Amino acid sequence: MIHFRNVTKDYDTQTALRDFTLSVEKGEMLFVTGPSGSGKTTMLKLIYSAERPDKGTIEIAGWETDGLRASSIPFLRRNIGVVFQDFRLLDNKNVFENIAIALRIRGIGEREVKGKVYETLKMVGLRHKADAYPRTLSGGEQQRVVVARAIIPDPTILLADEPTGNLDANSAEGIMRIFKNVNAKGTTVLVATHNKELFRNSGRRVVKLDMGNLVGVETA
Amino acid sequence: MIALPYSLVLAVKSLLKEKWINLLSVLTIASGLLIISIAVFGVVNITAATHQLPEKFSMIVYLDDSLQKKDIDGVINSLKKNNSVHSVKYISKEEALEEMKGLLKDSDYVFEGLDDNPLPDSLELKLREESVGPETVKKLARETLGIEGVREVDYGEKFLAMLHGVKAGLQTVGLVLIVMLSVGIVFVCYSTVKILFYRRTEEIETYKLLGATRSFIRLPFLIEGAFLGAAGGIISLLGILSFNYLVLLRLSLSMPLLRKILFPTDLFLLLPIAGLLLGITGAAIALGRIRY
Repeated sequence: MIHFRNVTKDYDTQTALRDFTLSVEKGEMLFVTGPSGSGKTTMLKLIYSAERPDKGTIEIAGWETDGLRASSIPFLRRNIGVVFQDFRLLDNKNVFENIAIALRIRGIGEREVKGKVYETLKMVGLRHKADAYPRTLSGGEQQRVVVARAIIPDPTILLADEPTGNLDANSAEGIMRIFKNVNAKGTTVLVATHNKELFRNSGRRVVKLDMGNLVGVETA
Repeated sequence: MIALPYSLVLAVKSLLKEKWINLLSVLTIASGLLIISIAVFGVVNITAATHQLPEKFSMIVYLDDSLQKKDIDGVINSLKKNNSVHSVKYISKEEALEEMKGLLKDSDYVFEGLDDNPLPDSLELKLREESVGPETVKKLARETLGIEGVREVDYGEKFLAMLHGVKAGLQTVGLVLIVMLSVGIVFVCYSTVKILFYRRTEEIETYKLLGATRSFIRLPFLIEGAFLGAAGGIISLLGILSFNYLVLLRLSLSMPLLRKILFPTDLFLLLPIAGLLLGITGAAIALGRIRY
Protein backbone atom coordinates (compact mmCIF):
# COMPACT_ATOMS: atom_id res chain seq x y z
CA MET A 1 0.00 0.00 0.00
CA ILE A 2 2.83 2.43 0.92
CA HIS A 3 6.41 1.97 -0.29
CA PHE A 4 9.32 4.27 0.50
CA ARG A 5 12.44 3.39 -1.48
CA ASN A 6 15.71 5.07 -0.42
CA VAL A 7 13.93 8.36 0.23
CA THR A 8 15.87 11.43 1.33
CA LYS A 9 14.31 14.77 2.15
CA ASP A 10 16.35 17.85 3.03
CA TYR A 11 15.22 21.20 4.43
CA ASP A 12 17.92 23.79 3.78
CA THR A 13 20.79 22.55 5.97
CA GLN A 14 18.86 19.86 7.86
CA THR A 15 18.07 16.37 6.60
CA ALA A 16 14.55 15.41 7.68
CA LEU A 17 14.64 11.88 6.27
CA ARG A 18 17.74 10.03 5.10
CA ASP A 19 17.83 7.05 2.71
CA PHE A 20 14.55 5.82 4.17
CA THR A 21 13.10 2.51 2.98
CA LEU A 22 9.84 1.08 4.33
CA SER A 23 6.79 -0.83 3.11
CA VAL A 24 3.39 -0.74 4.77
CA GLU A 25 0.93 -3.47 3.85
CA LYS A 26 -2.72 -2.94 2.98
CA GLY A 27 -4.87 -3.00 6.12
CA GLU A 28 -1.89 -2.65 8.47
CA MET A 29 -1.91 -0.35 11.49
CA LEU A 30 1.56 1.06 11.97
CA PHE A 31 3.05 3.41 14.52
CA VAL A 32 5.88 5.81 13.75
CA THR A 33 7.71 7.09 16.79
CA GLY A 34 10.69 9.19 17.66
CA PRO A 35 11.57 12.50 19.35
CA SER A 36 10.60 15.90 17.95
CA GLY A 37 12.45 16.58 14.70
CA SER A 38 13.03 12.88 14.02
CA GLY A 39 11.18 13.04 10.66
CA LYS A 40 7.73 11.66 11.59
CA THR A 41 5.74 14.58 10.18
CA THR A 42 7.95 14.74 7.07
CA MET A 43 7.28 11.05 6.44
CA LEU A 44 3.51 11.66 6.58
CA LYS A 45 3.77 14.81 4.40
CA LEU A 46 5.64 12.80 1.79
CA ILE A 47 2.76 10.32 1.73
CA TYR A 48 0.10 12.96 0.98
CA SER A 49 2.45 14.86 -1.34
CA ALA A 50 2.65 18.02 0.73
CA GLU A 51 6.40 17.48 0.31
CA ARG A 52 8.36 15.88 -2.53
CA PRO A 53 11.42 13.67 -1.91
CA ASP A 54 14.85 14.96 -2.95
CA LYS A 55 15.99 11.40 -3.64
CA GLY A 56 14.28 8.04 -3.91
CA THR A 57 10.75 7.06 -4.87
CA ILE A 58 7.44 6.68 -3.06
CA GLU A 59 4.48 4.59 -4.12
CA ILE A 60 1.12 5.26 -2.48
CA ALA A 61 -1.94 3.12 -3.20
CA GLY A 62 -0.59 2.38 -6.67
CA TRP A 63 0.42 6.01 -7.38
CA GLU A 64 4.10 6.68 -8.06
CA THR A 65 4.65 10.13 -6.57
CA ASP A 66 7.86 10.60 -8.57
CA GLY A 67 6.89 12.76 -11.53
CA LEU A 68 3.28 12.96 -10.34
CA ARG A 69 1.56 15.85 -12.12
CA ALA A 70 0.23 18.63 -9.90
CA SER A 71 -3.25 18.11 -11.32
CA SER A 72 -3.17 14.46 -10.10
CA ILE A 73 -2.27 15.34 -6.50
CA PRO A 74 -5.90 16.03 -5.42
CA PHE A 75 -6.89 12.59 -6.67
CA LEU A 76 -4.02 10.95 -4.78
CA ARG A 77 -5.05 12.84 -1.63
CA ARG A 78 -8.61 11.60 -1.96
CA ASN A 79 -7.29 8.14 -1.03
CA ILE A 80 -5.84 9.52 2.17
CA GLY A 81 -7.48 10.85 5.32
CA VAL A 82 -5.21 13.06 7.41
CA VAL A 83 -5.47 13.98 11.10
CA PHE A 84 -3.25 17.04 11.10
CA GLN A 85 -1.13 17.91 14.10
CA ASP A 86 -2.38 21.51 13.96
CA PHE A 87 -5.98 20.34 13.29
CA ARG A 88 -6.55 22.69 10.32
CA LEU A 89 -10.16 23.28 11.29
CA LEU A 90 -11.96 26.18 9.60
CA ASP A 91 -12.94 28.68 12.29
CA ASN A 92 -15.65 30.29 10.17
CA LYS A 93 -17.49 27.00 9.68
CA ASN A 94 -19.35 24.94 12.23
CA VAL A 95 -18.56 21.32 13.05
CA PHE A 96 -21.01 19.99 10.45
CA GLU A 97 -19.51 22.13 7.70
CA ASN A 98 -15.93 21.29 8.72
CA ILE A 99 -16.63 17.61 8.30
CA ALA A 100 -18.88 17.95 5.25
CA ILE A 101 -16.17 19.72 3.26
CA ALA A 102 -14.25 16.44 2.91
CA LEU A 103 -17.24 15.05 0.98
CA ARG A 104 -18.13 18.23 -0.89
CA ILE A 105 -14.71 18.52 -2.51
CA ARG A 106 -15.41 15.05 -3.91
CA GLY A 107 -18.63 16.34 -5.46
CA ILE A 108 -20.93 14.23 -3.28
CA GLY A 109 -24.58 15.31 -3.23
CA GLU A 110 -26.10 17.20 -0.31
CA ARG A 111 -28.43 14.43 0.80
CA GLU A 112 -25.60 11.91 1.11
CA VAL A 113 -23.39 14.53 2.76
CA LYS A 114 -25.99 15.18 5.44
CA GLY A 115 -26.53 11.50 6.20
CA LYS A 116 -22.83 10.63 6.35
CA VAL A 117 -21.85 13.65 8.45
CA TYR A 118 -24.45 12.90 11.14
CA GLU A 119 -23.49 9.22 11.09
CA THR A 120 -19.80 10.08 11.54
CA LEU A 121 -20.55 12.68 14.21
CA LYS A 122 -22.38 9.98 16.12
CA MET A 123 -19.40 7.64 15.71
CA VAL A 124 -17.05 10.20 17.29
CA GLY A 125 -19.61 11.19 19.96
CA LEU A 126 -20.19 14.74 18.74
CA ARG A 127 -23.73 14.53 17.31
CA HIS A 128 -24.85 17.26 19.73
CA LYS A 129 -22.05 19.59 18.62
CA ALA A 130 -22.95 19.74 14.92
CA ASP A 131 -23.77 23.46 15.03
CA ALA A 132 -20.90 24.47 17.31
CA TYR A 133 -17.88 26.37 16.03
CA PRO A 134 -14.35 24.96 16.55
CA ARG A 135 -13.34 27.79 18.90
CA THR A 136 -16.07 26.80 21.37
CA LEU A 137 -14.89 23.16 21.56
CA SER A 138 -12.35 21.58 23.93
CA GLY A 139 -9.06 20.23 22.56
CA GLY A 140 -10.39 16.66 22.68
CA GLU A 141 -13.57 17.62 20.85
CA GLN A 142 -11.62 19.49 18.19
CA GLN A 143 -9.42 16.43 17.73
CA ARG A 144 -12.49 14.24 17.24
CA VAL A 145 -13.84 16.66 14.61
CA VAL A 146 -10.53 16.35 12.75
CA VAL A 147 -10.73 12.56 13.01
CA ALA A 148 -14.31 12.63 11.72
CA ARG A 149 -13.25 14.76 8.75
CA ALA A 150 -10.40 12.36 7.98
CA ILE A 151 -12.45 9.16 8.10
CA ILE A 152 -15.73 10.32 6.56
CA PRO A 153 -14.75 9.66 2.91
CA ASP A 154 -13.72 6.08 3.80
CA PRO A 155 -10.07 6.61 2.78
CA THR A 156 -7.76 3.77 1.81
CA ILE A 157 -5.08 5.23 4.08
CA LEU A 158 -5.50 7.14 7.33
CA LEU A 159 -2.59 9.25 8.59
CA ALA A 160 -2.56 10.71 12.10
CA ASP A 161 0.13 13.13 13.21
CA GLU A 162 0.38 13.25 17.03
CA PRO A 163 -3.38 12.64 17.31
CA THR A 164 -3.35 12.59 21.10
CA GLY A 165 -0.78 15.31 21.65
CA ASN A 166 -2.66 17.41 24.21
CA LEU A 167 -5.36 14.99 25.23
CA ASP A 168 -6.04 13.35 28.54
CA ALA A 169 -5.81 9.56 28.79
CA ASN A 170 -9.56 9.01 28.29
CA SER A 171 -9.77 11.19 25.21
CA ALA A 172 -6.64 9.58 23.77
CA GLU A 173 -8.13 6.15 24.33
CA GLY A 174 -11.32 7.23 22.57
CA ILE A 175 -9.37 8.45 19.55
CA MET A 176 -7.34 5.23 19.38
CA ARG A 177 -10.55 3.19 19.56
CA ILE A 178 -11.85 5.01 16.48
CA PHE A 179 -8.59 4.31 14.62
CA LYS A 180 -8.79 0.62 15.49
CA ASN A 181 -12.37 0.46 14.23
CA VAL A 182 -11.41 2.16 10.99
CA ASN A 183 -8.44 -0.20 10.62
CA ALA A 184 -10.70 -3.18 11.28
CA LYS A 185 -12.71 -2.19 8.20
CA GLY A 186 -9.56 -2.49 6.04
CA THR A 187 -8.10 1.01 6.10
CA THR A 188 -4.33 1.21 6.40
CA VAL A 189 -3.56 3.40 9.43
CA LEU A 190 -0.30 5.22 10.20
CA VAL A 191 -0.03 6.96 13.55
CA ALA A 192 2.95 9.22 14.21
CA THR A 193 3.41 9.73 17.93
CA HIS A 194 5.99 10.13 20.62
CA ASN A 195 3.52 8.70 23.18
CA LYS A 196 4.66 5.12 23.75
CA GLU A 197 1.47 4.32 25.69
CA LEU A 198 -0.48 4.38 22.45
CA PHE A 199 1.25 1.32 21.02
CA ARG A 200 2.50 -0.53 24.11
CA ASN A 201 1.48 -4.18 23.90
CA SER A 202 -0.61 -3.44 20.80
CA GLY A 203 1.03 -6.14 18.73
CA ARG A 204 1.49 -3.62 15.92
CA ARG A 205 4.68 -2.73 14.04
CA VAL A 206 6.47 0.34 15.35
CA VAL A 207 8.90 2.31 13.17
CA LYS A 208 11.51 4.22 15.14
CA LEU A 209 13.04 7.38 13.67
CA ASP A 210 15.82 9.58 14.99
CA MET A 211 17.34 12.62 13.28
CA GLY A 212 15.83 11.46 9.97
CA ASN A 213 17.28 7.96 10.22
CA LEU A 214 15.34 4.74 10.50
CA VAL A 215 16.74 3.25 13.70
CA GLY A 216 14.48 0.24 14.01
CA VAL A 217 11.25 -1.54 13.21
CA GLU A 218 9.81 -3.76 15.92
CA THR A 219 6.52 -5.25 17.00
CA ALA A 220 5.13 -3.76 20.19
CA MET B 1 -16.51 16.42 -10.48
CA ILE B 2 -17.40 19.98 -9.52
CA ALA B 3 -20.37 20.64 -7.26
CA LEU B 4 -21.66 23.87 -8.78
CA PRO B 5 -24.34 24.57 -6.16
CA TYR B 6 -21.82 24.34 -3.31
CA SER B 7 -19.43 26.66 -5.16
CA LEU B 8 -22.38 28.99 -5.54
CA VAL B 9 -23.08 28.78 -1.80
CA LEU B 10 -19.42 29.59 -1.04
CA ALA B 11 -19.49 32.52 -3.49
CA VAL B 12 -22.73 33.96 -2.08
CA LYS B 13 -21.46 33.61 1.51
CA SER B 14 -18.22 35.37 0.61
CA LEU B 15 -20.09 38.13 -1.23
CA LEU B 16 -22.25 38.74 1.83
CA LYS B 17 -19.40 38.45 4.31
CA GLU B 18 -17.26 40.97 2.45
CA LYS B 19 -20.25 43.09 1.43
CA TRP B 20 -18.60 46.51 1.72
CA ILE B 21 -15.55 45.76 -0.38
CA ASN B 22 -17.81 44.03 -2.90
CA LEU B 23 -20.26 46.93 -2.98
CA LEU B 24 -17.41 49.36 -3.56
CA SER B 25 -16.12 47.20 -6.41
CA VAL B 26 -19.58 46.93 -7.99
CA LEU B 27 -20.02 50.73 -7.87
CA THR B 28 -16.55 51.29 -9.34
CA ILE B 29 -17.28 48.82 -12.14
CA ALA B 30 -20.68 50.45 -12.72
CA SER B 31 -19.04 53.89 -13.00
CA GLY B 32 -16.49 52.57 -15.48
CA LEU B 33 -19.14 50.87 -17.59
CA LEU B 34 -21.31 54.00 -17.47
CA ILE B 35 -18.44 56.11 -18.84
CA ILE B 36 -17.86 53.45 -21.51
CA SER B 37 -21.58 53.64 -22.37
CA ILE B 38 -21.39 57.41 -22.72
CA ALA B 39 -18.30 57.03 -24.96
CA VAL B 40 -20.16 54.44 -27.08
CA PHE B 41 -23.16 56.76 -27.20
CA GLY B 42 -20.94 59.59 -28.48
CA VAL B 43 -19.15 57.42 -31.06
CA VAL B 44 -22.43 55.99 -32.38
CA ASN B 45 -23.93 59.45 -32.85
CA ILE B 46 -20.83 60.92 -34.45
CA THR B 47 -20.63 57.97 -36.84
CA ALA B 48 -24.32 58.32 -37.67
CA ALA B 49 -23.96 62.06 -38.22
CA THR B 50 -21.03 61.61 -40.61
CA HIS B 51 -22.87 58.86 -42.46
CA GLN B 52 -25.58 61.37 -43.29
CA LEU B 53 -22.96 63.69 -44.73
CA PRO B 54 -23.00 62.31 -48.32
CA GLU B 55 -26.70 63.15 -48.60
CA LYS B 56 -26.09 66.73 -47.52
CA PHE B 57 -22.75 67.28 -49.17
CA SER B 58 -22.59 69.04 -52.52
CA MET B 59 -19.92 70.66 -54.65
CA ILE B 60 -20.69 73.82 -56.58
CA VAL B 61 -18.96 74.29 -59.92
CA TYR B 62 -19.08 77.90 -61.23
CA LEU B 63 -19.02 78.26 -65.01
CA ASP B 64 -17.60 80.93 -67.28
CA ASP B 65 -20.17 83.53 -68.40
CA SER B 66 -19.27 83.02 -72.05
CA LEU B 67 -20.45 79.37 -72.21
CA GLN B 68 -23.18 78.36 -74.62
CA LYS B 69 -25.78 75.66 -73.95
CA LYS B 70 -23.77 72.98 -75.80
CA ASP B 71 -20.59 73.94 -73.88
CA ILE B 72 -22.46 73.59 -70.59
CA ASP B 73 -23.78 70.17 -71.70
CA GLY B 74 -20.18 69.22 -72.51
CA VAL B 75 -19.05 70.16 -68.98
CA ILE B 76 -22.00 68.21 -67.50
CA ASN B 77 -21.14 65.12 -69.58
CA SER B 78 -17.48 65.32 -68.56
CA LEU B 79 -18.48 65.47 -64.90
CA LYS B 80 -20.98 62.62 -65.20
CA LYS B 81 -18.20 60.39 -66.52
CA ASN B 82 -16.31 60.81 -63.24
CA ASN B 83 -16.84 57.80 -60.93
CA SER B 84 -17.10 60.00 -57.83
CA VAL B 85 -20.05 61.96 -59.17
CA HIS B 86 -23.54 60.74 -58.38
CA SER B 87 -25.60 63.51 -60.02
CA VAL B 88 -25.19 66.90 -61.67
CA LYS B 89 -27.79 69.66 -61.45
CA TYR B 90 -27.58 72.78 -63.60
CA ILE B 91 -28.44 76.07 -61.86
CA SER B 92 -28.73 79.04 -64.17
CA LYS B 93 -27.57 82.47 -63.00
CA GLU B 94 -31.24 83.57 -62.88
CA GLU B 95 -32.21 80.64 -60.62
CA ALA B 96 -29.19 81.38 -58.44
CA LEU B 97 -30.24 85.01 -58.04
CA GLU B 98 -33.80 84.00 -57.17
CA GLU B 99 -32.52 81.57 -54.61
CA MET B 100 -30.27 84.19 -53.10
CA LYS B 101 -33.12 86.69 -52.96
CA GLY B 102 -35.17 84.07 -51.17
CA LEU B 103 -32.42 83.54 -48.65
CA LEU B 104 -31.83 87.25 -48.09
CA LYS B 105 -35.42 88.42 -48.24
CA ASP B 106 -35.01 90.35 -44.97
CA SER B 107 -31.95 92.14 -46.35
CA ASP B 108 -33.16 93.00 -49.84
CA TYR B 109 -31.26 96.31 -49.78
CA VAL B 110 -28.27 94.20 -50.84
CA PHE B 111 -29.80 93.92 -54.28
CA GLU B 112 -30.65 97.65 -54.68
CA GLY B 113 -28.84 99.27 -57.57
CA LEU B 114 -27.99 95.97 -59.22
CA ASP B 115 -28.65 96.27 -62.92
CA ASP B 116 -26.96 93.09 -64.01
CA ASN B 117 -27.05 89.67 -62.41
CA PRO B 118 -23.50 89.25 -61.01
CA LEU B 119 -23.92 85.53 -60.33
CA PRO B 120 -22.52 82.94 -62.72
CA ASP B 121 -24.19 79.81 -64.07
CA SER B 122 -23.29 76.86 -61.87
CA LEU B 123 -23.53 73.09 -61.46
CA GLU B 124 -24.43 71.38 -58.21
CA LEU B 125 -22.64 68.01 -57.87
CA LYS B 126 -23.84 65.30 -55.53
CA LEU B 127 -21.16 62.71 -54.83
CA ARG B 128 -21.32 58.97 -54.28
CA GLU B 129 -21.32 58.05 -50.57
CA GLU B 130 -17.86 56.47 -50.64
CA SER B 131 -16.38 59.52 -52.37
CA VAL B 132 -17.22 62.04 -49.66
CA GLY B 133 -13.82 62.36 -48.05
CA PRO B 134 -11.24 65.16 -47.94
CA GLU B 135 -8.81 63.48 -50.36
CA THR B 136 -11.28 62.28 -53.03
CA VAL B 137 -13.18 65.57 -52.99
CA LYS B 138 -9.93 67.49 -53.37
CA LYS B 139 -8.94 65.30 -56.34
CA LEU B 140 -12.35 65.75 -57.94
CA ALA B 141 -12.12 69.53 -57.48
CA ARG B 142 -8.70 69.50 -59.17
CA GLU B 143 -10.00 67.46 -62.10
CA THR B 144 -13.10 69.65 -62.41
CA LEU B 145 -11.01 72.82 -62.52
CA GLY B 146 -9.17 71.28 -65.47
CA ILE B 147 -12.36 71.12 -67.56
CA GLU B 148 -12.63 73.95 -70.04
CA GLY B 149 -15.34 76.46 -69.10
CA VAL B 150 -15.09 75.87 -65.32
CA ARG B 151 -14.21 79.04 -63.48
CA GLU B 152 -14.23 77.98 -59.84
CA VAL B 153 -15.10 75.07 -57.56
CA ASP B 154 -16.48 75.49 -54.06
CA TYR B 155 -16.97 72.60 -51.65
CA GLY B 156 -16.11 73.80 -48.13
CA GLU B 157 -12.71 72.15 -48.13
CA LYS B 158 -11.73 73.22 -44.64
CA PHE B 159 -15.08 72.26 -43.14
CA LEU B 160 -14.96 68.81 -44.70
CA ALA B 161 -11.39 68.21 -43.52
CA MET B 162 -12.24 69.45 -40.04
CA LEU B 163 -15.37 67.29 -39.84
CA HIS B 164 -13.45 64.17 -40.82
CA GLY B 165 -10.65 65.09 -38.44
CA VAL B 166 -13.10 65.55 -35.60
CA LYS B 167 -14.82 62.25 -36.44
CA ALA B 168 -11.55 60.32 -36.52
CA GLY B 169 -10.32 62.06 -33.37
CA LEU B 170 -13.47 61.42 -31.38
CA GLN B 171 -13.61 57.80 -32.53
CA THR B 172 -10.01 57.31 -31.44
CA VAL B 173 -10.63 58.99 -28.09
CA GLY B 174 -13.77 56.87 -27.62
CA LEU B 175 -11.91 53.68 -28.47
CA VAL B 176 -8.97 54.51 -26.18
CA LEU B 177 -11.42 55.36 -23.39
CA ILE B 178 -13.28 52.07 -23.88
CA VAL B 179 -10.05 50.03 -23.85
CA MET B 180 -8.59 51.88 -20.84
CA LEU B 181 -11.76 51.60 -18.78
CA SER B 182 -12.17 47.93 -19.70
CA VAL B 183 -8.64 47.29 -18.44
CA GLY B 184 -9.54 49.33 -15.34
CA ILE B 185 -12.62 47.19 -14.70
CA VAL B 186 -10.59 43.99 -15.10
CA PHE B 187 -8.10 45.45 -12.60
CA VAL B 188 -10.85 46.26 -10.08
CA CYS B 189 -12.16 42.68 -10.30
CA TYR B 190 -8.58 41.38 -10.13
CA SER B 191 -7.84 43.38 -6.96
CA THR B 192 -11.09 42.46 -5.25
CA VAL B 193 -10.78 38.74 -5.96
CA LYS B 194 -7.08 38.83 -4.99
CA ILE B 195 -7.98 40.36 -1.61
CA LEU B 196 -10.77 37.81 -1.06
CA PHE B 197 -8.38 35.01 -2.08
CA TYR B 198 -5.67 36.16 0.35
CA ARG B 199 -8.19 36.43 3.16
CA ARG B 200 -9.06 32.78 2.62
CA THR B 201 -5.54 31.45 2.10
CA GLU B 202 -5.67 29.18 5.16
CA GLU B 203 -9.04 27.78 4.15
CA ILE B 204 -7.84 27.14 0.60
CA GLU B 205 -4.68 25.40 1.84
CA THR B 206 -6.87 23.08 3.91
CA TYR B 207 -9.10 22.37 0.91
CA LYS B 208 -6.01 21.47 -1.12
CA LEU B 209 -4.74 19.10 1.58
CA LEU B 210 -8.14 17.42 1.71
CA GLY B 211 -8.04 16.73 -2.05
CA ALA B 212 -9.81 19.72 -3.62
CA THR B 213 -9.11 20.21 -7.32
CA ARG B 214 -8.14 23.54 -8.85
CA SER B 215 -11.63 23.88 -10.32
CA PHE B 216 -13.23 23.42 -6.91
CA ILE B 217 -11.02 26.17 -5.47
CA ARG B 218 -11.36 28.51 -8.42
CA LEU B 219 -15.08 28.26 -9.13
CA PRO B 220 -16.39 30.30 -6.16
CA PHE B 221 -13.96 33.13 -6.97
CA LEU B 222 -14.88 33.08 -10.66
CA ILE B 223 -18.55 33.25 -9.65
CA GLU B 224 -17.74 36.21 -7.38
CA GLY B 225 -15.87 37.97 -10.20
CA ALA B 226 -18.74 37.28 -12.59
CA PHE B 227 -21.25 38.60 -10.05
CA LEU B 228 -19.26 41.80 -9.41
CA GLY B 229 -18.96 42.46 -13.15
CA ALA B 230 -22.57 41.61 -13.97
CA ALA B 231 -23.92 43.67 -11.05
CA GLY B 232 -21.79 46.62 -12.19
CA GLY B 233 -23.15 46.07 -15.70
CA ILE B 234 -26.78 46.06 -14.52
CA ILE B 235 -26.29 49.26 -12.50
CA SER B 236 -24.60 51.00 -15.44
CA LEU B 237 -27.44 49.82 -17.71
CA LEU B 238 -29.97 51.34 -15.32
CA GLY B 239 -27.86 54.51 -15.29
CA ILE B 240 -27.72 54.90 -19.05
CA LEU B 241 -31.43 54.04 -19.43
CA SER B 242 -32.25 56.68 -16.80
CA PHE B 243 -30.11 59.17 -18.73
CA ASN B 244 -32.11 58.36 -21.87
CA TYR B 245 -35.46 58.64 -20.12
CA LEU B 246 -34.78 61.58 -17.82
CA VAL B 247 -32.57 63.68 -20.09
CA LEU B 248 -32.91 62.80 -23.78
CA LEU B 249 -36.60 61.86 -24.00
CA ARG B 250 -37.79 64.63 -21.68
CA LEU B 251 -35.67 67.33 -23.23
CA SER B 252 -36.64 66.25 -26.73
CA LEU B 253 -40.23 67.29 -25.94
CA SER B 254 -39.09 70.91 -25.77
CA MET B 255 -36.04 70.55 -28.05
CA PRO B 256 -37.07 68.59 -31.17
CA LEU B 257 -33.43 68.59 -32.37
CA LEU B 258 -32.64 66.03 -29.65
CA ARG B 259 -34.96 63.54 -31.37
CA LYS B 260 -32.27 63.09 -34.00
CA ILE B 261 -29.88 61.72 -31.36
CA LEU B 262 -29.54 57.93 -31.53
CA PHE B 263 -29.78 55.85 -28.37
CA PRO B 264 -28.43 52.34 -29.11
CA THR B 265 -30.53 50.40 -26.57
CA ASP B 266 -29.60 47.02 -28.11
CA LEU B 267 -25.94 47.76 -27.56
CA PHE B 268 -26.48 48.87 -23.96
CA LEU B 269 -28.44 45.71 -23.15
CA LEU B 270 -25.09 43.92 -23.52
CA LEU B 271 -23.61 45.85 -20.56
CA PRO B 272 -24.32 43.13 -17.94
CA ILE B 273 -22.73 40.52 -20.23
CA ALA B 274 -19.72 42.78 -20.86
CA GLY B 275 -19.40 43.31 -17.09
CA LEU B 276 -19.70 39.59 -16.46
CA LEU B 277 -16.95 38.75 -18.96
CA LEU B 278 -14.65 41.47 -17.62
CA GLY B 279 -15.33 40.24 -14.06
CA ILE B 280 -14.48 36.64 -14.92
CA THR B 281 -11.32 37.80 -16.72
CA GLY B 282 -10.19 39.81 -13.68
CA ALA B 283 -10.92 36.90 -11.33
CA ALA B 284 -9.12 34.39 -13.56
CA ILE B 285 -6.02 36.60 -13.68
CA ALA B 286 -6.14 37.09 -9.90
CA LEU B 287 -6.30 33.35 -9.21
CA GLY B 288 -3.43 32.59 -11.57
CA ARG B 289 -1.94 29.12 -11.30
CA ILE B 290 -2.91 27.31 -8.11
CA ARG B 291 0.03 25.26 -6.89
CA TYR B 292 0.06 22.08 -4.86
